[in-house]
Amino acid sequence: MTHPNDISKIIVRIAEIMIDELKLEDVTPETFDPEIDLIDEVGIDSMDLATIALVLRDEYGIVIDEDDYPKLNNIRLIAEYIQKRVDEGKQG
Amino acid sequence: MQVQTHRVEGTQEKTWKFSDIIGDPVVEARWEKVRRYFFLRESTYDMTNRCNIRCDGCYYYEGAKQFAHENGNPANWRHLMKDEKARGITYVVLAGAEPSLAPELCQVCFEEMPLGAIASNGLRPIPGSINYRIHISVWGDDETSLRVRKAKDMLVRQIANYQGDPRAVFVYTFTRDNIDQIHGVIEVLARHRCKVTLNVFSSPVGYNGPLRHTLQSLSRTRKTMMALISQYPENLLFSPYSAVAHTHMVGLHGLYSCSYPRMNTSTAIGLGRSFRQYRADLTWDRGAACCVPDTDCNDCRHYAAGSAVVTARLFRHASDPDTFKSWLDYVDTYLAVWVMGYEKDVNLCDHMVAPPGHDLPED
Repeated sequence: MTHPNDISKIIVRIAEIMIDELKLEDVTPETFDPEIDLIDEVGIDSMDLATIALVLRDEYGIVIDEDDYPKLNNIRLIAEYIQKRVDEGKQG
Repeated sequence: MQVQTHRVEGTQEKTWKFSDIIGDPVVEARWEKVRRYFFLRESTYDMTNRCNIRCDGCYYYEGAKQFAHENGNPANWRHLMKDEKARGITYVVLAGAEPSLAPELCQVCFEEMPLGAIASNGLRPIPGSINYRIHISVWGDDETSLRVRKAKDMLVRQIANYQGDPRAVFVYTFTRDNIDQIHGVIEVLARHRCKVTLNVFSSPVGYNGPLRHTLQSLSRTRKTMMALISQYPENLLFSPYSAVAHTHMVGLHGLYSCSYPRMNTSTAIGLGRSFRQYRADLTWDRGAACCVPDTDCNDCRHYAAGSAVVTARLFRHASDPDTFKSWLDYVDTYLAVWVMGYEKDVNLCDHMVAPPGHDLPED
C-alpha cells in the first residue's frame, strides 16, 4: 500500500487506478496531469468516479462520500481528499 | 469516516472489500457485463403534443409542457440531435405525448442517435426502421383500460402490433386497483412470447384519485411482483431488488436521493449536469427536468426514474455480496429493458434485500 502521507505517490497511484479501471489510452501514471479536469477534459462521469471510489476504498480504507464527487474533479483534489480522510481516521 | 461493515447473522461484523465482493467469478462477470454501459447519458424528448387516447392520471397533460407549440420540422430535430450528441448525450428517450404520431421525427432521432427508447401506447405501429426499444404501456386488463384510458381492446391491439417484435417491452403499471389483473394480462403476453417489465403508478402533482397507491396496495404489489418473478422467468424483466425499490413505503427520492435536475441542484457531474427534458417545442426548463415531469416526487416509483437513480448509487450498494448482487440484478434488468440487443441474465440474488440505510418494506 502507498504510504498515505506522500501526496505525490497517492497521485501516481490514483492515476494508475484510473488508467487501469477506465481503460484510458495514450497516458501513463507519470504523464497523467494531476490538475487536468477529469470531467470536462477526460470525460469521466459519475459512474466512473463511483468505480474509482470503490477501488480507493479498498486501497486506503476510506469512504468518498457520494455528495463529494462533484468537488473531486482532478487527481490532486482526490489525493488531498484521501490524505485528509486517512489523517482523520488516524486521529479518530 | 471508515469503510462500511456488514453484520453476518450470529457473527461479528465483517468489512467487505470491493475486490472481495467481485472476487466471486459470477459476480465479476456480471459487473464487467453491466459496466460496459456506464457510457449511457440520457435525455428525454416530447415528440408531439398529440395523443390518440386520453388516460386518467396522464403525466403529459399535467403542467406547462402540454401547451408547448409543436415543432414538427425534421430538420430542427436533426439539428437538435447533433447538438445533443456534441454535448455528450448517448441515449434518447422519446416520450410524450404519443411518439408514434410523429414517426418522421422519431426516424430523424434514430438516424442521429442510435441508442434510445420510445414510450408508446402501442396502438399505432412504429416503423421497423426505427430500431429503438419500444415500451408499450399496459394499465390493467381491457375492461380497466376502457375505463381508465377510454380505449377498447387495448391489449389485443398492442399484441397485434408488436408480437414477435424484438424492440417491444410491455410495461405493466400497477395502480391501486389493477394489482390482481396482472395475472391474466401476463399470461396472455407470455403466451404470445412478449417481454414484460413492471412499473408502479406514481401520482402526478396534485393527484389524489383512485389510482394512487397506499401502503397496503404497495405491499400487495410487492408480493405479486415476487410471485411473477418465479412464474415467468422467460418473459419478465425484473428482479427482487426492483420489487423492493419500487414498492418501498419510502419513494425513490427518499431511498436514493433523486439525481435528476428537478431535485438535484448540482450541475457538476452526472444527470444534474447533462440531463434535459425537451418539450415538443424543443425548449427545456432545468427546474422541471426529470424523466417523468409533473410527477409528485414524494410518490415517485417510476421504472424510468429508478433506472437512473438506483443505478447511480453504485458506491453505497458495494457494502456486502447480497446488496451488490441485488444492485447488479437491478442494473441488468434496467439495461435489458432499455437497450436494444442487451439480454438479461438470471438474477444473482433471489430474495429481497433492504436498500442501503433503510429497512426492508413492511408487509
